[in-house]
Amino acid sequence: MNDVEKSEAGRFSELHLELQDWLAGYADGELDDHHTALVEAHLAGCEACRADVARQQVMSRRFQEVPTTRMPFDLQKRLDKALADAPEYSDPAPRTTSRFNLRQWLTGLYRPAVVGTGGWVVALVLAGVLLLPDVGLRSHDHIRMVSDALADYQKVAVTDLPALANTADISAPAKLAGGRLLATWHTTVGGEPAQAFAMRRGNSLVIQYRISEHVLFRNPDVRQAMATMGGYRTHEKQLEVLAVPMKEAGLLIVGPANAMPATSDLDLEPT
Amino acid sequence: MRKARSKQQFDALTRPWRDRLFGVALRQTQSREVAEDWTQEALLRGWRDFAQLTDQVAVYAWLLKILNRVVADDVRRNARRDQLAPMLTTGDAFLQEQACTSAGPFEQTVQTQSNEQFMKAVQALPDNFRQVVLLRDVEGLNYQEVGEVLDIAQGTVMSRLSRGRRLLASLLIRTESADGLAATSIHGGKPT
Repeated sequence: MNDVEKSEAGRFSELHLELQDWLAGYADGELDDHHTALVEAHLAGCEACRADVARQQVMSRRFQEVPTTRMPFDLQKRLDKALADAPEYSDPAPRTTSRFNLRQWLTGLYRPAVVGTGGWVVALVLAGVLLLPDVGLRSHDHIRMVSDALADYQKVAVTDLPALANTADISAPAKLAGGRLLATWHTTVGGEPAQAFAMRRGNSLVIQYRISEHVLFRNPDVRQAMATMGGYRTHEKQLEVLAVPMKEAGLLIVGPANAMPATSDLDLEPT
Repeated sequence: MRKARSKQQFDALTRPWRDRLFGVALRQTQSREVAEDWTQEALLRGWRDFAQLTDQVAVYAWLLKILNRVVADDVRRNARRDQLAPMLTTGDAFLQEQACTSAGPFEQTVQTQSNEQFMKAVQALPDNFRQVVLLRDVEGLNYQEVGEVLDIAQGTVMSRLSRGRRLLASLLIRTESADGLAATSIHGGKPT
């Protein structure tokens, strides 16, 4: 090995060790473009690191199969009681300081300007939100249950629906005003079994998917939307997807935006 | 000034997260009772500090951060923390045994293990690796959220995650090797 080759081997080894700590970021898509390019250039020539990335992806998928732990009923009751017995806390008193605060002074001096500018900023943001209807709707690229339901809907939309034997015995998880149940079948959503209910609503096909609670709450964006708004809504082109919790299960509704119910209008099956 | 917030508001915001919070606590200890105590303590501290929760903060990440402090305080009290974290590279001998880039053999290793075995291997990780792996891979937080919960930089999240997953892979492969040896000895065969 000549000097140039030794030096290149040394640089490769140095970079190899440095990149060890970036591989998770690469596997999770959390690196910026520059670092992604660096890692990819290294991966092209390093089998050990390629294997490491592959193993990380395998383990991330395996974690998704571990079922969610349910809290025992006794503990729910114990927590309710502990919170009921907990003292009331008032808001913390505002901090006072005798030191000169430049920021406060500036704010006071230019309050009219600050308020005026702030007003314009708020107005511009609101105008932006109103003019761009997509803002506020979240990207669902990383939410498998949404992609699965959309794929199932699109597949069903171009094939014949399975015949429904006896509609009297079957009802969809959510009653939709003006909706008529057409068919039901078993499918897979988020890697777990799910039941689909196709409905005609006006001239549109709306499909409800009863999914497991574990799949529904798997994604943090969805969980956050559930906690703050009671449901998660996203869309792809003309199709909209609404996810809401039910008793020990989840419900996904997929259909054209104009045929979708409001979250507050949903009449869910009795629990 | 913000008005005092009610227990009803607190309950409405935190109740959907109780199960998951308990799950996170349970994965940090072998004892169900301890996990129950941690969950209760985290909720009570959450109620105490409810006024500090702003609209910009995700409720679940906030609760996880409180739970993390509860666990840290308790564990520190019991003086069983700061295990020496081994540093593995992708060149580790055990990992090299399954260095195939298709992930097929390793996937098989992982899939043949039950959830209990898999989570037992996770439990065996040093605390700082286990926390990051669980928050990312089980709770689905992004790196920024994991960093906020654990009060560490995103770069640290990434390095701990890389090392933690590598160590976990190594533990899973070792477990399979040990099981394989046990199985061959049970069946009277020679280990290959």
